[in-house]
Amino acid sequence: MSEAYAVDVDNVVKSFGTMRALDGVTLRVRQGEIYGLLGPNGSGKTTLIRAIVGLVAPDSGTVTALGHRIPDLNILSSVGYMTQAAALYPDISVEENLRFFAAISGADSNVDEVLKVVELEQRRKSVVATLSGGMRQRCSLACALVHRPRLLLLDEPTVGVDPQLRVQFWEHFRDMAAAGTTILVSSHVMDEAERCQRLGLIRFGKLLGEGTPNEVRAAAGTNNLEEAFLKLSGRAGE
Amino acid sequence: MSGHRIAAITRRLLQQFRHDRRTLALLFVAPLVILGLLGYLIRGGTSAPDVGIANQDQGPVGATIASALEKSSRIHTVTINPADGDAKLKDGSLIAYIVFPAGFSQLAQQGTIAPEIHLEGSQPGVQAPVLQALQDALTSVAASAIRFQPSVTYLYGGQNLDQLDYFGAAFIGLILFFLVFVVTIVSFLRERSQGTLERLMASPLRRGEIVVGYMIGFTILALVQAVEVLLFSLYVLKVHNQGNVLLIFGFEVLMALSAVNLGIFLSMFARTEFQAVQFIPLVIVPQVLLSGILFPVSTEPTPLQYVSDVLPLTYAVNGLRDVMLKGADLTWPALQLDVGVVAGFCVLVIFAGIGTLRRRVA
Repeated sequence: MSEAYAVDVDNVVKSFGTMRALDGVTLRVRQGEIYGLLGPNGSGKTTLIRAIVGLVAPDSGTVTALGHRIPDLNILSSVGYMTQAAALYPDISVEENLRFFAAISGADSNVDEVLKVVELEQRRKSVVATLSGGMRQRCSLACALVHRPRLLLLDEPTVGVDPQLRVQFWEHFRDMAAAGTTILVSSHVMDEAERCQRLGLIRFGKLLGEGTPNEVRAAAGTNNLEEAFLKLSGRAGE
Repeated sequence: MSGHRIAAITRRLLQQFRHDRRTLALLFVAPLVILGLLGYLIRGGTSAPDVGIANQDQGPVGATIASALEKSSRIHTVTINPADGDAKLKDGSLIAYIVFPAGFSQLAQQGTIAPEIHLEGSQPGVQAPVLQALQDALTSVAASAIRFQPSVTYLYGGQNLDQLDYFGAAFIGLILFFLVFVVTIVSFLRERSQGTLERLMASPLRRGEIVVGYMIGFTILALVQAVEVLLFSLYVLKVHNQGNVLLIFGFEVLMALSAVNLGIFLSMFARTEFQAVQFIPLVIVPQVLLSGILFPVSTEPTPLQYVSDVLPLTYAVNGLRDVMLKGADLTWPALQLDVGVVAGFCVLVIFAGIGTLRRRVA
């Protein structure tokens, strides 16, 4: 049954000291779906993503990814994880970074293909430290894609990426989803939210609402997703 | 454990060093500078301090001793007027002056030799040659009256052994340990601070694979450094070596492995590279002071000897000296103990390193 969901987070609670980062989150992402996780800074998006890769151990509740109870090292070769800040080795080249992340995932790599996707073919021999912030972000995304993951977790992937390339990224995400890759992406950019098949609104470590962009708008009684988001997350504060 | 993944870590580390010329310079040029400097300091010849001589003796003894002092290589003598002596000590032109007072010869004949020695006094190290030179001069004068012929034999080394042989043997190990430790702790900490460790943890890599990959990468670098340091010490500085070079090399391998894993282990307790550098005075300096490199452990105050006895570097230094100065081999119980302790420490820090690298960062 659980195989139907690529990600199955069940009533997960996680506290750091007195701060409750996740307060009973239940969330299911279907195979091949693009799921957008929306929420303000500090709402628990990153903690939730880290719990899905097994970097955060829940205090209670369970996480299942690709049919395996997390933590499970073996499924990580099928998971691509892009951290919020571009986590790369600054003193080696773009290509060396890609080959490294491909090698540790143990999957067959498609270095040339991902370089094309992020438009860094010309800079493949450049040392990462010499790249601009946007280029680093693109290189970081490439490192998350290089081993052809079946589940892709992206923590605010398009920060610092120009609008033109952002559109390209999303086209690529759609192609990947169509080919069966599940994508969970956190964002607070609303035009990105519009491109997701389903959205989850997260605040104070709780999932406040879920649905397609249209459903979210309808639930809030507005035509504007940004307004809907503010309205829905505001309601929880009352 | 996957050899493929371990190789990926090692390859990446070596690529990083290929791009990072400054760190390479630190690893491969710094040891030569340190050892070369040490060699030049010890063997480059010392300049003799200036000592004033004032002979007011009317008899022959004062003049005899004064001329013996003039010939001494330890000091450089100048004839002065005793009234100017203190002023010259003050302005720094002399480090000491010796006065043979009037009636020195008469007193000497009665069995009392009483030269007046005035020392500058603030530099303990510089006074020793003055007193030594005077003693030599007195002995040579006295030797004309009595025969003094002790017979001296050496169990190890001998007359030709100097400070460089003694310190060199220890420094070969120390430099490697120190530099490899610093480079590992900083690069491992960078892995944490730049967020790549988070990525590694979200990959199928096992903790042991990360540690082994690092270990192989840094040990390769350390061994290249070890070969370089050994060749430089043995063939350029001509540090005395009585033992098997492979045994020295073996010690260096163990020390490199310990340094890498100590670095990984301690990187857990620092948040920034700045904090990591602060481990140097905390971890390295006490070991250097207490491991017998500078002061033999047997001359330390008793409480400190207990501390020295538990420091792994003490055994490494001791072992290297035994091999190089005494020609020890693995049949010597003392060397078995040294190798055993260093190897034991190495295994301990490998597990400590793996243990601190928790998969769950939170």
